[in-house]
Amino acid sequence: MGEPVLRLRGIVKRFPGVVALRGIDFEVRPHEILGLVGENGAGKSTLMKILVGLERPDEGEIVLRGRPVVLDGPETAIRHGIGMVFQEGCMIPNLSVLDNLFLCHEDGFTRFGLLSPRAMAERAREQLAVVGLTDLDPRQQMSELSPARKQMVEVARLLWLSELYQAQNPTLILDEPTTVLQEGEVRILFSLLAKLRERASIVFISHRLEEVVQHTDRVYVLKDGEHVGTLERPAPDAPAPEVPGVVRLMVGHELSAEHYRESMQTEPGQEVVLRARGLRKTGAFRDFSLDLHAGEIVGLVGLLGSGKEEVCRCLTGAERPDGGSIEVRGQRVRFASPKDAIAVGVGCVPIDRRSDGLATTLDVADNVNLLVLRRLLAGPFLSPRRERESAEHWVRECLIKAPSLRTPCGNLSGGNQQKLVIAKWLAAQVQVLILDHPTRGIDVGAKDEIYARIRTLAASGMSLLIMCDTLEEDIGLSNRLVVMKDGAIVREIACAPRRKPPPVEVVSYVV
Amino acid sequence: MSPFPSTAPGAPPARHPSEKGGDSSAADAREGRPSALRAALRPALQFVSRGIYGQIVALALVFAIFAVGTGGGYLSLRNVLTILSLAGIPMIVCLGIHLVIIIGAMDLSTEGVISLCAVICGFLIKNSFTHYDIGFWVLPVSVAIGALAGLVSGVLSTAARMPSFIATLGIWWVAQGLSVVVGRGNSVKMLDPRFQTITNGDTLGLPNTILIALVFFAGLWVMQRRTRFGRYMYAMGGDEALARQAGIKVARVKVLVFTLTGAIYGFAALLLSARLAATNPRIGNGQLFPSMTAVAVGGISLSGGVGGALNAVFGALIVVALNDGMVLMKISPYVQNAVNGIVLILAVALTIDRRKIGIIK
Repeated sequence: MGEPVLRLRGIVKRFPGVVALRGIDFEVRPHEILGLVGENGAGKSTLMKILVGLERPDEGEIVLRGRPVVLDGPETAIRHGIGMVFQEGCMIPNLSVLDNLFLCHEDGFTRFGLLSPRAMAERAREQLAVVGLTDLDPRQQMSELSPARKQMVEVARLLWLSELYQAQNPTLILDEPTTVLQEGEVRILFSLLAKLRERASIVFISHRLEEVVQHTDRVYVLKDGEHVGTLERPAPDAPAPEVPGVVRLMVGHELSAEHYRESMQTEPGQEVVLRARGLRKTGAFRDFSLDLHAGEIVGLVGLLGSGKEEVCRCLTGAERPDGGSIEVRGQRVRFASPKDAIAVGVGCVPIDRRSDGLATTLDVADNVNLLVLRRLLAGPFLSPRRERESAEHWVRECLIKAPSLRTPCGNLSGGNQQKLVIAKWLAAQVQVLILDHPTRGIDVGAKDEIYARIRTLAASGMSLLIMCDTLEEDIGLSNRLVVMKDGAIVREIACAPRRKPPPVEVVSYVV
Repeated sequence: MSPFPSTAPGAPPARHPSEKGGDSSAADAREGRPSALRAALRPALQFVSRGIYGQIVALALVFAIFAVGTGGGYLSLRNVLTILSLAGIPMIVCLGIHLVIIIGAMDLSTEGVISLCAVICGFLIKNSFTHYDIGFWVLPVSVAIGALAGLVSGVLSTAARMPSFIATLGIWWVAQGLSVVVGRGNSVKMLDPRFQTITNGDTLGLPNTILIALVFFAGLWVMQRRTRFGRYMYAMGGDEALARQAGIKVARVKVLVFTLTGAIYGFAALLLSARLAATNPRIGNGQLFPSMTAVAVGGISLSGGVGGALNAVFGALIVVALNDGMVLMKISPYVQNAVNGIVLILAVALTIDRRKIGIIK
């Protein structure tokens, strides 16, 4: 297979509180399709960002065709023939296809300083034909294209740019390209990639492991910022590696029991606090039924696109389901907005606490009291003394480390911010708390405190629905797992302490 | 056929790309070749189709309403020429502002900058106050002062990372204040008749101001359609972060756009003074609102990236025609103001792209 086109050696990348990559070796060989897999937070996106120059590694070197290079931005990366198609796309919607194709590299198309639309359109047609878009009018506006076509236009642009800079065998990185595609389109994408490999190497990132093993030559597996293995297909016509083998590498073998404060796990009560029956939302999930008991921790597990995010959004009132019913303590409820959910005692710790969970410019006390201002009134006015007492109480209770109650909470660390979000809900005396990736971006010590907090909340009778960063965390924390796949519940798995199911078993239902 | 049909979910599955080419003639027959006539008309259709159908209809509607309201007097050649001559300067101002709007920014400094340029020019041409007389050299001076003001706005909104509406709001009052200080609040008579002859004159039966406006339109139109700079402006209006990622030097384009807009204000300031044969520090007053209305009515989205010079021209025409009609019908000026306000709100409601704005402030 020849010398690698691109080789990373000993790449280390640290973010405040987290080491995202711990000495990664990574290589891309000529004309190969390389699959890159790993759980959320395994470091895939950081690695890719380093490849296209959006992040600079703290240690390690990048060697391109035998020469070390410094990649300081997508601009530089593409000059070296490394380009990425981002999941959310980076084509400008109000420009035409041809404007997007050649944006910022129009030098070849000017005559007396003016662009020649005809020459551009001609060249654009040729370039679009390379990616199979023979019937696309390059004058069409980008926003009118289907996601599949947008992706291919991006690929066409990257190929054109690498040609322009005479980069031999460019490397194209596709980040979750198939999540936005229909089934038929996925097939077409792969047959196109098979053709493109004659002129480029392709790095393919996906959560759909079936796709990855089927269509790639090698599968590179990341776990917790480390390279844990590569599954290679010896010859193009050899059978694909087995999905369970990949999964085993992705999730690891055993659980470290005490890691998730398992000894503090309690038996849930009998009373059903939150009951969902036949909940559905077109295009996201269907027939979702769940009984959440007092003091129970239920982990909602599934891949991106399994519908679990939408389920949570419906249960917290952020979205309205198309059908089905929700009951809280036996009372039928309808949430038109999160406010209604809060009124009956359903709270939510969102995934992005900085934008959705906290008012970052307000101080600690204001955030804790945000939902309970009514209880802090003295006559028609807020009582500063009651405000302070309430804030002090919850800050102490939740072990929040803040310089003072008047510190703007944007200045707190991630872990303390998260504790603050939880404190806010405790102050509001919710009975159900939905935690969306509660430990995302939090360092190890603070994670443990959050785990302990989740345990004590459950012990006190609060019901929790959690979605975690890793499967291990889901299994470790929950009393019960609900597995979703393609919008429906496929399995419920009991997770009693000391008798937790192995991750591999759970994954087999997930994929 | 392309392997990626843009059809909706549920459509028959797309064919494998390796099958393509074999039956291309059949595909052509199915899709229907565009007729020769349509091919010939295509440039004209494209010219019109970039979203000014609505503006043509609106203009026709304004004409129809006032034609009825004034018993036909509104449609007389004299009144149409009046509208055109009144539209010239607002059109130029609007062509200036719309550049900033296209990149998704905002410019409120219009009135102050125009007043400042006008007051300084008033002292430099032959006038009733000073002994200077630099003749037509005043044009580059006025343009330069406007450009400088624009440059400052641009630098504030890029280097100092300030929202452009705040930066330009500040520049408005700075320039307004300076114009009073410089002019000591006086009204200055311009004693060089050539300026007035040009601005109030006709060429081939058309008012000169509208012809000048059309020259501006032509220049900006070519810039927007056929230059890289023009493309970059639209790219930034569409998505500034992505534009930066594509390699556009976003800050530089922004500063240049503000500078260009300021330069156009400088030009308009001179025309305004010449038309009155006098300058004063309040000469720019009342320029911002009609221009902003014209931008919105012309179909230029205040969220950026949509609309162009042609929209600005039509927007200005509609606003001026509307106000001319209301004057002819002797509608109270206060009611006129209210009507203009409603028109602005309606036009923005129709053109703004709400998906781009997460939280409205």
